[in-house]
Amino acid sequence: MNKNKYLLMVSSIGVFVLLAAAAVSENFMKDWHDIQGSAKTTEGPIDLRLRQIVNPQLKVTDRCVTCHVGMASGEQITTDQKVGAAHKPVAHSPTEIGCTTCHGGQGQATEKDDAHGNVHFWTEPMLPARYAYASCGTCHTPLNVPNLPTLENARKTFERLDCYACHRLDGRGGTLRPGGNVTGMEGPDLSHIGLKGYNAEWYVAHLQKSQQATDPAWKTSFREVNEADREELKIFLDTQMGAPKLIEAKAQFNSVGCAGCHTVGSFGGDAGVNLSLSGYKDPNQLNFTKVQGDHTLSNWIVQHFRSPASTVAGSQMPALGLSENQIDLLTLYTLSLRRRTLPDIFLPKDRVKAMRFGEREFASNGETIYTAVCSSCHGANGRGTRFPGLVPNPSITGPDFLQLASDDFLFQTIRNGRPSRPMLPWGDRVNGFKDDELRAVIAYIRGLGGDVQAQPDAKPQIWATGDAAVGATLFASNCSGCHGKNGAGADGPALANKVFLSSVSDTFLVETIRRGRSGTVMQGFGNPSPIRRELTQAEIESIVVFIRSLSAK
Amino acid sequence: MAADGYSALHEFWLNLRAIPNHVYRAMFRGGPPKTDRTRSSFIFGNVFLHLHSVRTHLWSLRWSTTMGLGIMTTAAFLITLITGILLMFYYKPYPDVAYQSIKDIHFIVPTGRFMRNIHRWAANVMVIAVILHMARAFYTASYRKPREFNWFIGWGLLVTTLGLSFTGYLLPWDQLAYWAITIGANIAQSPREITDALGITAWADIGGLQREILLGSDKVGEEALIRFYLLHVMILPLALVMLMAVHFWRIRKDGGLAKPANADELVAEEAKEFYPVFTDVPTKTYHLAAVVKGKTAAVGSGPEHTVPSMPHLFYAELGVLMLTTLICVVLAFVSDAPLKELANPLVPENPAKAPWYFLGLQEIVSFSAFMGGIGIPMLCVIGLGLIPFLDREKEGTGEWFGGPGGWKLVKWSVVVGFAASIGVEAFAIYFGWLREWFPDIPQLFITFINPGTVLTAIYAAYSIWAVRKYNSTRAGALALFTCFLCGFIVLTVIGTYFRGPNWDFFWSPSDWGGH
Amino acid sequence: MTTHPSEKKSRFDPEPMPRRDFLGLAALGSMIAAFTLSIFGMLKLPKAAVSASPAKKFNVALPDTLPEGEAFVPPGRNVAVFRDGEGVFAISTVCTHLGCIVKTSSAGFDCPCHGSGFQKDGTVRKGPAPKPLPWLKVSKNGGVLTIDEEANVKTGTKV
Repeated sequence: MNKNKYLLMVSSIGVFVLLAAAAVSENFMKDWHDIQGSAKTTEGPIDLRLRQIVNPQLKVTDRCVTCHVGMASGEQITTDQKVGAAHKPVAHSPTEIGCTTCHGGQGQATEKDDAHGNVHFWTEPMLPARYAYASCGTCHTPLNVPNLPTLENARKTFERLDCYACHRLDGRGGTLRPGGNVTGMEGPDLSHIGLKGYNAEWYVAHLQKSQQATDPAWKTSFREVNEADREELKIFLDTQMGAPKLIEAKAQFNSVGCAGCHTVGSFGGDAGVNLSLSGYKDPNQLNFTKVQGDHTLSNWIVQHFRSPASTVAGSQMPALGLSENQIDLLTLYTLSLRRRTLPDIFLPKDRVKAMRFGEREFASNGETIYTAVCSSCHGANGRGTRFPGLVPNPSITGPDFLQLASDDFLFQTIRNGRPSRPMLPWGDRVNGFKDDELRAVIAYIRGLGGDVQAQPDAKPQIWATGDAAVGATLFASNCSGCHGKNGAGADGPALANKVFLSSVSDTFLVETIRRGRSGTVMQGFGNPSPIRRELTQAEIESIVVFIRSLSAK
Repeated sequence: MAADGYSALHEFWLNLRAIPNHVYRAMFRGGPPKTDRTRSSFIFGNVFLHLHSVRTHLWSLRWSTTMGLGIMTTAAFLITLITGILLMFYYKPYPDVAYQSIKDIHFIVPTGRFMRNIHRWAANVMVIAVILHMARAFYTASYRKPREFNWFIGWGLLVTTLGLSFTGYLLPWDQLAYWAITIGANIAQSPREITDALGITAWADIGGLQREILLGSDKVGEEALIRFYLLHVMILPLALVMLMAVHFWRIRKDGGLAKPANADELVAEEAKEFYPVFTDVPTKTYHLAAVVKGKTAAVGSGPEHTVPSMPHLFYAELGVLMLTTLICVVLAFVSDAPLKELANPLVPENPAKAPWYFLGLQEIVSFSAFMGGIGIPMLCVIGLGLIPFLDREKEGTGEWFGGPGGWKLVKWSVVVGFAASIGVEAFAIYFGWLREWFPDIPQLFITFINPGTVLTAIYAAYSIWAVRKYNSTRAGALALFTCFLCGFIVLTVIGTYFRGPNWDFFWSPSDWGGH
Repeated sequence: MTTHPSEKKSRFDPEPMPRRDFLGLAALGSMIAAFTLSIFGMLKLPKAAVSASPAKKFNVALPDTLPEGEAFVPPGRNVAVFRDGEGVFAISTVCTHLGCIVKTSSAGFDCPCHGSGFQKDGTVRKGPAPKPLPWLKVSKNGGVLTIDEEANVKTGTKV
């Protein structure tokens, strides 16, 4: 009968030992005990306790400040300590909006790995420090960002005009003039001017003020700025929101035509996936077999930009041949697409504009529109692209094409697209381009092609005559290889296309068939080739008549 | 009136001083439990202990008799009860908030994480112990007259235990919970498969009704959470406690544990060690508290070969209690209770798996929702409940694997049970089933002819063969119970380890790949 | 309790005096020790290491036109902020009796629950309140005031 007593004793001792061990590990072996234990203020050591930042409206309960104790409300840690250091000054006070709002991670956790979110089952790990600016995208939606070259030019203008002398921007400048803050001569900090909305009219007031100023420094330090430079300044200042790297990243996004395939917010193409929340992808749901390094979302995105198809099985996205620097910027931008649902009082102005008023999220000058949307298919120089496995995209800057294509034809094509082809109706869609924006794009395209204007065409839109049956035979033998049976489209554009046929002129068709289209595989059928004879004008016209007849079908 | 010449004030002072001593003595009605007599009165005078008999047969105290599984189940229940009440200090049954409260329990509640781990592990220990306890009662044929009804109650306890465990599964409100309960609720809805096939869903939607009563809504949401919470902390624990009270009471009333007819001889050697209380044949039984139904081990025969329950039985019970605690604490120490991502009704887990003890069910549900989720389980559950009324033989009561066929039959049944379930599964996995071959086959065919029903039929056929071979209903019961137990194990293991995304077969979870 | 097997036993023999059962006592003792430890653990549980309430320290901007002697109550806070010639100060509006929220009145503060009354500087005027209303630490940082509900300062401290 003693075995039951032994059972009782051994089990009880086991329970006792384990409970004691649990008690010790819980009460004396937490990492934050050590960190807080070695942190000191001018008044001596701090008391050991859990600290947190709570903001019920933002649904934030962040215990990060238990270890990062220097960032806790009212703590002034003096010991030189990395973990316990104070937060560097930022636009938003961490003690009010919390830590996870910007940095991600698991605010409720009190242990490092859990808190940083580097554990299974936490969908939102911390943003890597190098992509920290992506966090602004949690609430902000920077508007009016042009493409990278434009932004770079504008920034150079700002620098060239020596604005940094009086003005401070992202912690730089504003210190070169005598007097400093004391006499009130230093210009205002422009770091967040874009959020408030930069007023271009301000320049006139600025000029007047400098005239009336009594201090000579005012007069001498302010030169006149010409109209073009003022435009540049506006472009630059409109984008300033205290996150230079994010703006640069977004400008990069606007430079390689991503919006041509992808929708962000309320605007973009639909060939690719909607990217609006791609910064919130759960790393646990991604395939990391091809990804080097840690299984983080940023590493995955980087690898995806290097080789989309091998990272996501079945992805249609071509390898764009981006440089590592471009990839870095695009990764930052992708990570910034993490728009969180916010209570109204926390919504920043830019976000309200983008969300409630459907404002497009990039600048609407011709160049930016072209680089942000068109360039992915038609190429940065407009000479077309061809990605393996996808339909080739035609050149649109050949002089022969630009001569034949009237502004109206281009306008209709861009506005209404080519149904069933990759070309989307860019004007006729939610938040699509307005007429003046379309004209700006056309002007930019003509500029890319060397400023070739359309030749005036005195003929009516439809003038060609001929026998459609003859045209059909000729079409079948000469054209259908590329343009598809009955012009349904294959590698070449679809001709049996209502939008195309309603805007194209016979002159365009006849001349294109006769002379071909440079930069594409469309050859001039007016000349013979080694494998076929040349087509006569009458034959070409009969083909055009046949093409016209396709619209009836 | 003050006695002994003391002044009343002095006596008051003496009384005040003697309070601890008097309280201690008042606790034990017959005085402190120091002699056999006072020990007896300690037991039947104590509300918590009086369900025990005063003396316990040595056979019952053998480890091999019960393996302490009943006590272990009770102990696990007590542990979940205490830790559960503690968790209720912080748990908030509302979607999303519930998840955050679990996170708080994990991170900032002193001992919270440990308590939750213990709660979770004790719940699992309880499920395992109750299944093993049932198997023990079955294999020792302890369900026979007069214990039929107690087997019934035990059956109710099994179902209630599973219900408790299942309802607790939703409370953390993480992905695991959300999708497991979604599946569970849809299993409840599976009678629709039949009503749909018969075209009577519009009039008699039993499945839909069951699901709606369970969830209180058309999906797993806040209504479901509050219902599951109510069931988990209130209705089911109360039901369990009541059933337990009846279960224990009936053990006592039915004459203690089932013993073989020759139990006294079997323990004769051990009995020599003990001081005999009743060397002469007693004129009445030692059952002081109740008049016991005629034929028990004690009535009319000398209560020899028994030992005082206090302390021998209590050492055994406390020993098992602490052993169970130790198991739970060890498990809690080495393994945290899982908590996945916050429940997201838009992103299903793939694979979404039910709690492990329902994975066998989920495996046959993957063949037919109705037969897997309702038909076969009902058959098992009803069959289990009716065992004592179908097997009314006497041979082998109280012995392990007692009855015609015995251990040899059980061995063969294990082989058949494993072979048939693995065979049917392998066939279905490699060759597919009816719909792969005849895409247009009516659903009613698949409902009634699927791997689950085929397996059930094989087991039934084998058991009928056993009944005929041994000319014994007990043999049939042994065969059938063993087969189903093996089938349960095989299906559960397959469901747990070999089913991956889209419920496809995988040799290892590492082959699941990304999404 | 065990006796020697060879002894002749009868129930009429006197009951043997139970010997000290060290093993049993050790077993029971270790069980009680384990229980005691677990009870300590359980008793620790109901007090969370940190309560999930917003920081007691908050920023507030006083309206420009706050008449002297009139209280400004920041939304959602149990604090009355005043401004007079000497500066700004904040008084807690939590009654020191049983924690009801006092209301400002012409006489100072009045508690609706048990009739405590306080002067304008928070000292007790009448009723059961045992202590004056505490003054809270106010720090000025530019145009923004930071009030710490957990830090009391001496009555009469103005910034």
